[in-house]
Amino acid sequence: MKATLFFFLLLSCCTFGQRILLMHGTAHIGNGTVVQSAAIGVVNDRIAFVKNSLTQTFAKEDWDTIIDCNGQHFYPGLVSANNTLGLTEIDAVRATRDFNDVGDWNPHVRSQIAFNVESKVVETVRTNGVLLVQATPRGGWISGSSAVMKLSGWNWEDATVLADDGIHLNWPSDRTAYQAQKRAIYSFFELAKAYAFAREAQPNDLRLEAMRACFRGQKRVYIHAESIQQIIDVIDFAAAFQLPFAVIVGGHDAHLVGAKLRDSKIPVMLSRTHSLPQREDEITYLPYQMPALLQQQGIAFCIQNDGDMQPMNTRNLPFQAGTTMAYGLSEEEALLAISLSVCQIMGIDKDYGTLEAGKKATFFVSKGPALDMRSNQLTTILVDGKFVSTSNFQEQLYLKYRQKYKDEAKSE
Amino acid sequence: MKAHHLIFFLATFVSVQVFAQFGPENGVKPSTPQFVLIQHATIMVKPGQTLQDADLLMQNGKIVQVGKNLKQDGAVLIDYTGKVLVPSFIDLYSSVGLDPVTFKNNGWRPQLESNKEGAYYWNEAVHPELAAAAAYKSIEHNSDQLQQSGFGFALTHHMDGIVRGSAAFVALGQTEVDKQLIAPKAAQVFSFAKGASHQTYPSSQMGSIALLRQALYDLDYYIKNKAVLPYSVSLSEWETQRNLPIVFKTDDKLEILRAQKIANEFKTNFLYVGSGNEYAIANDLKGFKIVLPLVFPEAYEVNDPYLAREIPLSELKHWELAPSNAVLLKKEGLDIALTSFGLKHSDQFWTALRKVIARGLSAADAMAALTTVPANWMGLSAQVGTLESGKWASFSVFSADPFAYEAQLLETWSLGEARYWKAANTVQLLGTYSLRIAEDNYELVVTGTTEKPQGKVILRTASDTLSTKATIQLKQQDVSIQFLSLTSSNPQLIQLHAKALKNGLVLEGDGTDAKGAWFHWSAIQQQTTAPTALIALKPDTIAYGQVWFPNMAFGTTQKATQQTILFKNATTWTNEKEGIIKGADVLVVDGKIKQVSRQQIAAPSGARVIDATGLHLTSGIIDEHSHIAISKGVNEGGQSISAEVSIGDVVNSDDIDIYRQLAGGVTAAQLLHGSANPIGGQSALIKLKWGVNPDQMLIANAPKFIKCALGENVKQANWGDFNTVRFPQTRMGVEQVFYDGFYRAKAYQKEWDAFKAGKTKVAPRVDLELEVLSEILRSKCFITCHSYIQSEINMLMHVADSMGFRINTFTHILEGYKVADKMQKHGVAGSTFSDWWAYKFEVNDAIPYNAALMTEQGVLVCINSDDAEMGRRLNQEAAKTVKYGGLSEEQAWKLVTLNPAKTLHLDDQMGSIKAGKAADLVLWTANPLSIEARVSLTMVDGVVYYEEKQQELKQAQIEQERTRILSLMLAANERGEASKTPQKKVKKHFHCDTLGEEATETENSH
Repeated sequence: MKATLFFFLLLSCCTFGQRILLMHGTAHIGNGTVVQSAAIGVVNDRIAFVKNSLTQTFAKEDWDTIIDCNGQHFYPGLVSANNTLGLTEIDAVRATRDFNDVGDWNPHVRSQIAFNVESKVVETVRTNGVLLVQATPRGGWISGSSAVMKLSGWNWEDATVLADDGIHLNWPSDRTAYQAQKRAIYSFFELAKAYAFAREAQPNDLRLEAMRACFRGQKRVYIHAESIQQIIDVIDFAAAFQLPFAVIVGGHDAHLVGAKLRDSKIPVMLSRTHSLPQREDEITYLPYQMPALLQQQGIAFCIQNDGDMQPMNTRNLPFQAGTTMAYGLSEEEALLAISLSVCQIMGIDKDYGTLEAGKKATFFVSKGPALDMRSNQLTTILVDGKFVSTSNFQEQLYLKYRQKYKDEAKSE
Repeated sequence: MKAHHLIFFLATFVSVQVFAQFGPENGVKPSTPQFVLIQHATIMVKPGQTLQDADLLMQNGKIVQVGKNLKQDGAVLIDYTGKVLVPSFIDLYSSVGLDPVTFKNNGWRPQLESNKEGAYYWNEAVHPELAAAAAYKSIEHNSDQLQQSGFGFALTHHMDGIVRGSAAFVALGQTEVDKQLIAPKAAQVFSFAKGASHQTYPSSQMGSIALLRQALYDLDYYIKNKAVLPYSVSLSEWETQRNLPIVFKTDDKLEILRAQKIANEFKTNFLYVGSGNEYAIANDLKGFKIVLPLVFPEAYEVNDPYLAREIPLSELKHWELAPSNAVLLKKEGLDIALTSFGLKHSDQFWTALRKVIARGLSAADAMAALTTVPANWMGLSAQVGTLESGKWASFSVFSADPFAYEAQLLETWSLGEARYWKAANTVQLLGTYSLRIAEDNYELVVTGTTEKPQGKVILRTASDTLSTKATIQLKQQDVSIQFLSLTSSNPQLIQLHAKALKNGLVLEGDGTDAKGAWFHWSAIQQQTTAPTALIALKPDTIAYGQVWFPNMAFGTTQKATQQTILFKNATTWTNEKEGIIKGADVLVVDGKIKQVSRQQIAAPSGARVIDATGLHLTSGIIDEHSHIAISKGVNEGGQSISAEVSIGDVVNSDDIDIYRQLAGGVTAAQLLHGSANPIGGQSALIKLKWGVNPDQMLIANAPKFIKCALGENVKQANWGDFNTVRFPQTRMGVEQVFYDGFYRAKAYQKEWDAFKAGKTKVAPRVDLELEVLSEILRSKCFITCHSYIQSEINMLMHVADSMGFRINTFTHILEGYKVADKMQKHGVAGSTFSDWWAYKFEVNDAIPYNAALMTEQGVLVCINSDDAEMGRRLNQEAAKTVKYGGLSEEQAWKLVTLNPAKTLHLDDQMGSIKAGKAADLVLWTANPLSIEARVSLTMVDGVVYYEEKQQELKQAQIEQERTRILSLMLAANERGEASKTPQKKVKKHFHCDTLGEEATETENSH
């Protein structure tokens, strides 16, 4: 631990135009493959190569920094979709809650500019390997526009990976008002679509402007839906409006309509695996098993972390994925569900999600398998080629009080 | 049944002779008959005894004699040939004649004290002084529904509150007010429902239980010391009710078990009013007296399979079996009565009662449940319940035996006074008539039943036969017929009225034609159809499902039992000095660990042998902080100190989360009171057992624990701006609440000590709150205190030190790492979360290294859940301490097993794998701290409650059971029975800060 800290201090001053070589680690590429004894070369903010370090020779002088990660593991930065991290600091303190605004139709409300990259919560999340988040608003029928953010940066501009990546639509679930509420959503989308494709300029409308890109393919439509009825209606809805990128978020019953979902090519951001079954009659381990059930049916999916205390719980994302390893996914498949698959669904896989040449150097090194609580111990973190501290204020408090007890024991 | 316009009173029948008439008469003295003699009736004297062609002689409202060929000079004679007399039914749960209870809203601020002015009991939910007799109003028609259902008597009371006051036994349908109150104080009524009171206390079922117990102790104390105590209207009145039967209204089967504990404590008996699901625990209710409701759950609309999925099996099973409640309880030998409470119409009563009979309750038992049983329970058997001499002449007159046929209720008699509801049709219209109107000869064909005839009019011409439907109404002799004329191309309405002569052989009267002109007509019966026989009630031949234990998904048809089990070759985490043994054999016999051995153990005969090669065997997880399996409220937040309440009183054995925790390897838990007040309530220490009753879940001889709390929750910091009334609102105030409570407890103890030592003569008042505080001071009750920041942790240790006791456990204790040395010195355990923080201001300095750092300083540390979801993967939470702070795997594992056992003083019986300890064992597919570990099997006291390999089979059974009941429900839909739309129900949970009796869907904010 101490060594890492020292290392970080040493390196943090020289991060521009740098060349970093990490050697002798097991590289979990994030696309399902593993490279043993890998070497990863980082030039500036991107990965230059991932190679077998035993079959290559590297000239020391070519590199500003060389780290021997003997026996450790390389992972792409984990990605937490659909999360209020950075938009709230303390759940119970209203003054810190910046994720739910007034109004039912808020596509124009943007999370990007409220994202607090210096949140104290952020540093505790990062140190477990989660390096990107989709900061997502809540509430209403359309909550607002989310943004994909790095968990390191000087300010929100600096931290932005993809601004306004999609709007979040909460599909109705109340049976008694269902048809009327569904109709209201169709009406809003009909209005928005007409606006989006109008040949002549329309009077500027904040809401409809925010919707325009949804029909033109630059912005995703994330539709939060759980039950079968909701899911099949969402599939019809996406088809009716020819939405280029619709995504189902939640998807509790997705495994029951697998063929239809697969044919629709709509991916699913599954609810956190660490949750209870939604129905009394459901098999107790259904949430743990869902990712495997979707994978078996060929449905594109990832795992997200919406739920109780989600900002702070983001640091458990690796273990949410890890739990699926006991219920049908391999370690690499579990990793995929919180790295490449998330990036593909959000449309940032060109730059993020795997340890492949050309991608942004956003990855971390762990002493052991990172999806198991015991061995998720980070020794190096890079975000876009820059070193980030592997410590946080919580570890500092720990060290401080540990020292206090040591000092007192000595003096007695 | 719009009967009231048929009603008229035989005023001349009213007898006043035995009653003194206090008021003056307006007019001459009423004329009344001496005797009334009913002749030739079928008389159902009492259950199991029916007299055919019998007579009943009454005088002055009472039965003189019942028998054959009775004679009485001067009697009014009534011929009831073909009619059936049934003793009036008795409804023991009613508020007939009383104004409905209105809810008083006294503003938006919490109301801590009673708003009642006067010398009443301090809590508005306890009002024994409320007398039904004093408020009873005899308003015409207010008891029509009851009477039309056959009820002639009701026990009526104010349906509000916990101690509701006295109930009056009244005669319904009797017009003279003086006579109605047969027994003005017949019973007292209790419940667990607070009702209209806006006082904050009680806010939970456990609070209601404690309040009722305290009130009963107060009553006793008042009676013994009333000479010196200030007069209390409530308690003085209550004293007069002491020997009355106590009716106890419940809203769930488990409430009966809860109330019975109170009955036992005060050496009394309750007579229960049930909620309809008692059949599910019939075996636990032997010897109980229960009044059962006839309200059954409505079916759901199940034509949409997506929606049908949202109905949990528990509701499907209850829908199926609720009408069998009476017969299933009767099979267990219980005495049952029936109430019409909750029904909206007499038709519903008869439909429901016939359903119950169809499900197998014998006619005699059904009749007894409505007559002799309730009469007996009220101690009024000498007056009501049967048609025997000397009893009240109160009975209903039916067209046939209502327990065997779809009979009609024609008249009701109440204390010798008759009320006519419906006249039986005696005219026989069924057959074919030739009908002549003007020039046309029609044929009128009457079918249907005597009561409800249906008609068809046929016109035969040379070329054609035309026919049309005719509406026929028959009211005794008066017949009206409407149909559309067949001759005109544009059909016109023809209306006929006639008197039926010669028992329907001839109809003769007038009518109006299409133009509205009057004409005379007649019809003669050509052909007579024999009336169809009475419709007999048919027994239900459907094979209904079994009760499951519990009666819901994952329940079993037989209660699970102990097995002799031998685990072979398991990697065994002993938690003892042997550490982790690779390849041990562990033998379980009679619910205990019999032997743990590195050598092979020979399997006893009949033992189940489990090859655990490659698997890990551990003692079960013990969750030191849980809020699952609790009924109606986790917090008694109505006051700052509520030590008198106990979660042990309200354990809910039907919570699916019990099964889910078992699936996560949890075998025991401390169910804690919430953190809404500084001194909360007592805990329930339970074993996770599935399909047993709540008392069987409680750990025998477990020490007493109580929840205390500090910080934001107890000072109501996050409860909104209107919650600023209750003391304390600051951490400063919290300290004083503790001092005040403990000083009062010391004084209380001193008073009792003096009495017990014979120094004082009068027994002091029993104070349930101070009893418990005094137990804390004497280390007979241990504190588990919700705490976050170091200042408050330190404070409470000082309070305890100054009072000479020890805080047993700090729970949450997220800043424990800052004062771990002080904690170690005080000897308090720390039971914490692995990594939670950021949910409220006071957890700003929470760190996941807390458990490790406290452990290093020698504090006994547990990891707990406080959450139904996390509770089922505490193995993972324990594993996090390996990452945060570097504990060894054995140390980490003890955080969720041995350490909580020690913390709860239960380590002599659980927490490790050692011969003699309880067989609370979990078999894991991998190292339990590994992310890849699954629970293969969980046993508690040697009973296997969860087995992974059976889950798919169980799922199939659940689906099969669902499909079976859904098809019955679909049939009910098709029969047109009332139904409702399914809605997805999100499982609600209790959290530390949940207030009131309802669980919530809100986030857990601990």
